[in-house]
Amino acid sequence: MSSTDEAWSVARLARVLKRRVEDDFPATWVKGELVGVKRYPSGHWYFSLRDDLAKVDCTMWKSAASRLKVPLEEGTEVFLLGQPNLWEERTSLRFNVVQVIPAAAVGASAQAIERIKQTLLADGLLDPARKRPIPPFASRIAVVTSTAGAAVRDIITVANRRWPGVELFVVNAAVQGTQAPAEIVTALAMVARLQAIDCCIVGRGGGGKDDLAAFNDEAVCRAIAACPVPVISAVGHEVDVTLADLVADVRAATPSQAAEFALPDRRDVEQRVTMLGTSLIGAAASLVNLRQERLGRTRERLGTALLERLRRAERRVLGVQGRLAPALTRRVAQPQRQLARLEGRLAPAIQRRLARTRGDLGRLAGMLDALSPLGVLGRGYAIPRDAEGRVLRRTAEFAPGSTFTLTVADGIVPVRVEKS
Amino acid sequence: MTDPQSLGDDLKRLEDIVRRLEDDDLALESALALFEEGVQRLKTAQERLASAETRVMQVLNEFAADGTPKVVPLDE
Repeated sequence: MSSTDEAWSVARLARVLKRRVEDDFPATWVKGELVGVKRYPSGHWYFSLRDDLAKVDCTMWKSAASRLKVPLEEGTEVFLLGQPNLWEERTSLRFNVVQVIPAAAVGASAQAIERIKQTLLADGLLDPARKRPIPPFASRIAVVTSTAGAAVRDIITVANRRWPGVELFVVNAAVQGTQAPAEIVTALAMVARLQAIDCCIVGRGGGGKDDLAAFNDEAVCRAIAACPVPVISAVGHEVDVTLADLVADVRAATPSQAAEFALPDRRDVEQRVTMLGTSLIGAAASLVNLRQERLGRTRERLGTALLERLRRAERRVLGVQGRLAPALTRRVAQPQRQLARLEGRLAPAIQRRLARTRGDLGRLAGMLDALSPLGVLGRGYAIPRDAEGRVLRRTAEFAPGSTFTLTVADGIVPVRVEKS
Repeated sequence: MTDPQSLGDDLKRLEDIVRRLEDDDLALESALALFEEGVQRLKTAQERLASAETRVMQVLNEFAADGTPKVVPLDE
């Protein structure tokens, strides 16, 4: 508790109270009934706002009052936007009003919007199945907005960052005021006549709630639904969802966000291209390895099989020869010569086929080499093989203590696995 | 003029080529052809990515002979 020695002056009390009341008090909407409405010759308004339990004195200065569309009327329900203000000379508190909306107007416009919404709903225009996807690589984008606003500039900024090379087709239209709905409808009709447009952004930069009216207009909603390309709405308002947002194929909070939805990010795509390049080289490389392995095995198998057949034939001939009378020997000698000739012909044919396949592989390998700026071949690729020459692909194939070889660019290195 | 729409086609085709190259039973001749095409597409995709400035046009309320609206560069 304070002592009398430290007594405050009244002025100090008033100042501290003022700070306590005013600091960090955000502009707030309050709903109530207007009473004691007085307009002074100075242009300022004085009145009170009350409900069943409380009453607060209010002021509305001339500057704010000049924006009033209708004069304040005793006894009406209103929404007031304002902040508390403490007058130090009397420590009296007043709510300083900067905006007034008659509750009846809010109710009426909300009802009107609801009626339009029901009509659009009945006509199927709000059906989620109607939503069209935005093409993944848009190159020509139409923008319906006011060229006086910030929307176009915001979209250009995002485009330059994410996806330069896109073409924007701006169709000017007022986005607030009584002429806005008709201008937006006309602009959307222009978009329909442009060639090869990928998608359309309809919107405006940020603004107050009053400015949203055009985007709750039935004709605007129907024009959006009728647009031949997917439409992104960008009404520039985080909180309020307009009917245009509901009809559009995609809703963005702001024009910048709309541009982000419409355009891919260059860095993502570059990454994807790089990865595809690596996969392409990798797939080709493993294809060559696989064919080389298979060719080696085929050659061995062919050789063995052929030899085996010749030996069998030889044994049979010898057996027959032994059993037959020498007089018949001549008749046997003939097939034997045939076999020898066949052997002579068969071998070159196989050799030729093998050589052809080797040639193809050589060309493919040569191409991979030639493309080295793109790839990694010949820059430290090594192929591990076991004693049978099989390529080792998984860690499980490298048992501790086992040996294998590494085929590198200029030869083969014997290797032992220390531990896995 | 760059046409990012065909960039999308290039990427789709490249993915398809890589998938097919990974098929062990592919004939060597086809593999070679696919690989050659893949390399070409890769080059095109990279060229497309390295492209130009954003162009901003204003659409006028006037029409050309073919019925399309006239456009002029937008002054910023």
